[in-house]
Amino acid sequence: MNASGIKTGLGAYTALFLVFLYGPLVVLAILSFQTGPEGGPQFPIIEWSTYWYKHLFGLTPPSRIAPLPIEQALVRSLGLAVMTMIVSTVLGVTAAQAFRRKFRGSGVVFYLIVLGMMVPGVLVGLGMALVANTLGIDRHWWSTAFVLHVVYTFPFAFLVMLAIFNRFDPSMEEASWSLGVTPARTFRKVTFPLIFPGVLSAMLFAFTLSYDEFSRTLFASGRDLTLPLAIYGTFSVEVHPNVFAFGVLTTLFSFALLGTYAALMMLSVRRAKRIAIQEEA
Amino acid sequence: MSTVLQLKNITKTYGDMRALSGIDLALPGDAYISLLGPSGSGKTTLLRVIAGFEHPDGGAILFDGKRIDTVAPHQRGIGFVFQNFALFPHLSVAQNIAFGLENRDVDPVTDRRVVDARVRDIISLVGLSGLEGRAVTQISGGQRQRVALARTLVTEPRMVLLDEPLGALDANLRARMRAELRAIRERCGVTFLHVTGSEAEALAMGDTVLVLESGRIAQSADSDTVYNRPASPAVARFLNCYNLFPGRIEGGTFVGGVGRFALGSGAPTRAASPAYAIRYDRVAVRPREAATAEDEIRIEANFVASEYSGAAVNSFFALDDGRVFEVESHLSHAAPETYAEQGRYALVWKREDALVYA
Repeated sequence: MNASGIKTGLGAYTALFLVFLYGPLVVLAILSFQTGPEGGPQFPIIEWSTYWYKHLFGLTPPSRIAPLPIEQALVRSLGLAVMTMIVSTVLGVTAAQAFRRKFRGSGVVFYLIVLGMMVPGVLVGLGMALVANTLGIDRHWWSTAFVLHVVYTFPFAFLVMLAIFNRFDPSMEEASWSLGVTPARTFRKVTFPLIFPGVLSAMLFAFTLSYDEFSRTLFASGRDLTLPLAIYGTFSVEVHPNVFAFGVLTTLFSFALLGTYAALMMLSVRRAKRIAIQEEA
Repeated sequence: MSTVLQLKNITKTYGDMRALSGIDLALPGDAYISLLGPSGSGKTTLLRVIAGFEHPDGGAILFDGKRIDTVAPHQRGIGFVFQNFALFPHLSVAQNIAFGLENRDVDPVTDRRVVDARVRDIISLVGLSGLEGRAVTQISGGQRQRVALARTLVTEPRMVLLDEPLGALDANLRARMRAELRAIRERCGVTFLHVTGSEAEALAMGDTVLVLESGRIAQSADSDTVYNRPASPAVARFLNCYNLFPGRIEGGTFVGGVGRFALGSGAPTRAASPAYAIRYDRVAVRPREAATAEDEIRIEANFVASEYSGAAVNSFFALDDGRVFEVESHLSHAAPETYAEQGRYALVWKREDALVYA
């Protein structure tokens, strides 16, 4: 096969990959504009409308289709994701900082941490439920589920920070010490600003992983459902395009998160450049 | 001269590797000291031990008469200039320089105007005026070097350790910075301990030159003494300007692989193993049939190649035992000779010019 043949083949493969990646999302987005309340979750589109978006926010006249029971679940999921993000990122940064020096048993500890993202979620969730029952602990999204979310997302934050510290030049910290600055202040003034992009990435990982975590939460969250559980719950009755509309909105929310992340990243890069440009002028 | 820093029997090992095996030295205040050593001789380790980044396995470090080997790096009051400069990339030139003043644990300067004034002073001292607001990623290597130096000097340490500070600069700039470093140090009146792998740099810069050889101080003397009377064959080899012959001494002669050399009047220098050293530029190349004077040593060798370096030509000869013998001819003394390839020549030097180790 010649070079252009390989190119065409790889191009087609990439196109196919993108279709499978975004196809479901596109179909979802299109169907969310189905007319309501009589339009169902299938093609063809009877009439384009924003009915199901209004339905989500309770702006439509009452009909036989109940509003999605997700308002509280959304708040819970956001709260849980923020809690998980904070705790996992702090743990990830401090653990990765500890791993910058070899210590006795560091290999074992490393695998213990990483195990949290390897073990099947359903089993961990079930295990947690059994442990809670045995010990007589109530299961809640903010207690048992939260612990599992941290166990699950902490390794991701840890690995991100490990990679960041791997490229970090320790002589900058030594330079700071030799100027008479304490290690604690050095961390705050030198280390942290420099690893901040990594911290942002760790936060993003922890937040998104926790936000749509399903299998662990299923058994560990008790009575009050998180968003993925609540949405799954609606499927068991009947699927209406309002779920699709909600899917589109949460996707937009995720993009907004990514956008904020990108903006924060760009800001720090541009600050350095702006200083340089001012000097040139 | 008062002693600022004293090391007593400092040892440090990494696994099976002995990086420092019993370092004893005393450094005077207000002096430029260069520490010369081949790579792997432990010079960076020694510097890091003094700064407190590494802990010695044994021995004592006294700074201003006080023991500091258990003191944390930020409490030692010793400045450190890194080979890669280690500037803070998120801070501007002025912020980098002000960093130590504002953030140090002891006696931080909180008054903005005082900080600004001191930063301004040091910036003009090192010649960085006009670059205060630049990002440190937007300045040249030589300018970064100055920022690194200014950042350390502004905190007024009693002593500054410089780890191959000119290593990252190009040759042109390196020569200029040598003079500047010396001048800046004189104005500040602190002790500089400058680590380098370049013998030319060490000899040019140090009031005192320390030569480190496999974890020990092999020689501590002024440049002239180190260059003209290296304390051991190892130091001579490292200076890169001596032809060395191993061998033994029998009566009044040195017996080596290529012949017997009559010894001069001076007593041999004590060393671990006998050796005979003759400086590259003390050797004359003559036709084979030329006469040899009474006080001269003569060996024969085949010409291999020569290398022109501007002010001098270095010619390489193969001795009969396979060793390479180098001769340096300064072009200010004579027009460069051309030698026939593989031609046989007599290499002649004065008996008194040789250094003998026994």
